[in-house]
Amino acid sequence: MATDEPRDVTSRTDDAAPDLAEALAIIAAQRARAEDTRPSGTLLFGIWGVAWLVGYGALWLTARDGGRPSVLAVAIAIGGGVAAVAVTIVHTTHRTRGIAGASARQGLLYGLAWPIGFVAQTMIVAGLGQAGAANEVTALAANAIAALVVGLLYIAGGMMLDLTSMYVIGGWMALTGAAAALAGVPGSYLVMALAGGGGMLVGALVESVRARG
Amino acid sequence: MADVELDPVIHAQARLRVVATLASLGAHDRIAFPRLQKLLDMTAGNLSTHLRRLEEADYVLITKTHEGRTPATYVELTLAGRLAFRTYTQSLRALLGDAS
Repeated sequence: MATDEPRDVTSRTDDAAPDLAEALAIIAAQRARAEDTRPSGTLLFGIWGVAWLVGYGALWLTARDGGRPSVLAVAIAIGGGVAAVAVTIVHTTHRTRGIAGASARQGLLYGLAWPIGFVAQTMIVAGLGQAGAANEVTALAANAIAALVVGLLYIAGGMMLDLTSMYVIGGWMALTGAAAALAGVPGSYLVMALAGGGGMLVGALVESVRARG
Repeated sequence: MADVELDPVIHAQARLRVVATLASLGAHDRIAFPRLQKLLDMTAGNLSTHLRRLEEADYVLITKTHEGRTPATYVELTLAGRLAFRTYTQSLRALLGDAS
């Protein structure tokens, strides 16, 4: 075919027909390679699992005697959250660069839903405080509503990406926040750390097994 | 092996790799040429040659656009390309099934 084009860069092996088993192997290999264009569930669940475990763990450790969490614990919790947000954005942007079209648009809309959810959560908590809610009430509401936002957005993400594991973790997070509200302060922090952070780490483990399988 | 024929446009090492990669993306997604090149470890010239062949068969759609002032080329599998790849993998499985 390329005999009249001696300088054609296509080499003979390139144009050669692979044998059948080889063809299947090529398809499988490229499918695995294309996984690089999607964020890693293992990494994202893992980083968020650690952030929840350490952050809420620190809050519980300093508040378990019935007092308020120490400033250092609050700083660790907020710092962990900010770091996890940064890792999520950098990792997702890196993985999806150069991909345009429907999933990029969906991804953008999905990404924007997170700040929308958390701005709403902050406003609700501030409103409860203004209305005279006790510290304990605002602390419980803040946690439960945050977990509800995360949970429902994971559920939405699971439906959008057709990832059942993400959907299940979302349901788990929403119910964890609700259970934490029932547990009351300071037990709520422990519930969030162990069930919330632990749940995400289990999710990370499941994703890593799934990615290898 | 005579009953089932493999699409000669796809049934070549390099083009199979290109089509398999594009088919792994979302149905309405397109990929920037340099990113595709990276996923395939192919030279730009080589990739262009194979893309042209796939474009002639209407299996891929190549869009040239601008991102700010830099020109950018995006590649996507057409519906025909996606169907052809599906037929190809089915034929492949059928042939392998027959062989065993």
